[in-house]
Amino acid sequence: MLLVDQVHKSFGTLRAVRGVSFEIPRGQVVGLLGPNGAGKTTTIRMITGFTPPDAGRVLIDGDDITQAAAKARGKIGYLPESAPLYGEMTVRDYLSFRSKLYGLERGARRSAIDRAMDRCWLREVAGRRIGQLSKGFKQRVGLAGALLHGPDVLVLDEPTNGLDPTQVSETRTLIRELGVERTLLISSHVLTEIERLCDRVIVLAGGTLRADGSPRSLIDAAGFVARYTVEIEVPRTGGTASIVMALGRVAGVASVQIHEEPGIPEASGRSWGVFTVSPEAGFMDLRETIAESARASGLLVRSLERERPSLERVFMELVERDGLGETRAVARRSA
Amino acid sequence: MKAALAIASRELSSMFRLPVGWVVTALFMLLTGTVFAYLILAPGQIASLRVFFAVSGWLLLPVVPAVSMRLLSEEFRSGTIEPLLTSPVSDAAVVIGKYLGGLAFLMLMFVPTLALVGILVALSDPKPDPGPILAGYLSVALLGALYLAVGLFVSSLTSNQTLAFLGTLFVLLLMMLLAFVPAEKLPPLLRPVLNAALIKPRIDDFAKGVIDLSHVVFFLSVSCWFVVLTTLTLESRRWR
Repeated sequence: MLLVDQVHKSFGTLRAVRGVSFEIPRGQVVGLLGPNGAGKTTTIRMITGFTPPDAGRVLIDGDDITQAAAKARGKIGYLPESAPLYGEMTVRDYLSFRSKLYGLERGARRSAIDRAMDRCWLREVAGRRIGQLSKGFKQRVGLAGALLHGPDVLVLDEPTNGLDPTQVSETRTLIRELGVERTLLISSHVLTEIERLCDRVIVLAGGTLRADGSPRSLIDAAGFVARYTVEIEVPRTGGTASIVMALGRVAGVASVQIHEEPGIPEASGRSWGVFTVSPEAGFMDLRETIAESARASGLLVRSLERERPSLERVFMELVERDGLGETRAVARRSA
Repeated sequence: MKAALAIASRELSSMFRLPVGWVVTALFMLLTGTVFAYLILAPGQIASLRVFFAVSGWLLLPVVPAVSMRLLSEEFRSGTIEPLLTSPVSDAAVVIGKYLGGLAFLMLMFVPTLALVGILVALSDPKPDPGPILAGYLSVALLGALYLAVGLFVSSLTSNQTLAFLGTLFVLLLMMLLAFVPAEKLPPLLRPVLNAALIKPRIDDFAKGVIDLSHVVFFLSVSCWFVVLTTLTLESRRWR
């Protein structure tokens, strides 16, 4: 269980995090979302005990990360952004070193290392130098290092950043497996990733918490009206105007726009136009109504799609509402 | 303590996984070997390693910063400090581990020079006096310990290895060169402090074969001081 209680953090005049609070129960996979400079990494660093909060507290299973540092830190597995590792060490040596830092006994150490290597598919590179490995492998070594001591809370900062598509999908599979038994916090700016992996999303912007809930509930709460895209045969007589009129008469339709003018007639002699239909608020699903009305008006529908509002749209809306979309990255390496 | 030892052994083995450890050791051997062959193994010379220890002391000036510059600066630069400082290990244990690792490397670097002692004993007649040799090894060990503590402290201030190297070299040279400033030229207020802080007279005592306990205490306490200072710097860095 992870509790973040009213944490604040400033660097000089920059107020990086301003009173962020949330609680994550065991077994929940939570995505931490926000544009660059939103305070994601700073929040994560306060959770993992790398940097102490100016005010507020972080509890890991009841232990304060600054007051009972050693105990609390021992319960967290942390993969920092871009997985920093000692390039000159072999994978096995590195994991052995990490296991000593976490106070694993000699006997437990071997099995823990083997387990972590199996979990992250590292067997084949156990004896290789980390510096010679591909980025995907390095990421897995970092992940294995975070899993070694069997932590209850796992914190991953941008776990798929800079990986190729195959590696991304492998890492996602692994993360999904890991989330089953643990409290998992993932930071990312890849929205589709968060949408697929997480039960819950926390959105940070400008150092404050903007939204907290399941991806579904955030989308619903945003109150977006799903639009429809309809492709219809444009009759020789009447043209697009007749279609706009016909669709406009359908109950629940607020407006109809021409999305794509009909092109040159196809081999069949038919030409097609694409229309965007915006519904009035309160109508759940208009697909059947639209199709039936079109048929009744003698129009031929070739495709009809209901736009799925994505987390991305919610996110853009949340972030851009206060002009934070342009927030510059305040990349603070610890130097 | 276990964690500190794990950090120390990682640091030591990394020195030999990277070229820096081998290069430093090889250059050190080359220079001390040359001094030994041309200045000490000369007919008619008294069998003494005094020159060897004097030269070693000066060689430590560039060698120690080359070892210490990596200790913390590299962790800051590469970001490995983050997984290290979020593990359940205290900042003091991290610093002590780093220090012990560097110290072990310096001690190891001197192991091959025992061959020089062996050669001197085998070839010379009368045999060399063991007292000054033991005192000589103790002096380079203490000198190395102090230099390394200074180097560790400087490397906790920057993520740039070159800067850590130069900064350490500068501080160490200043400490050594202070001995050559005539006492009456120093500001009177600082005179007693600076006199007490002088390193060279203490090393000269060791070279005579005298092991003065106050000198030993001086080197160890200054080293401890810098290790503590490094820990404080590391702790303060967490806030930034």
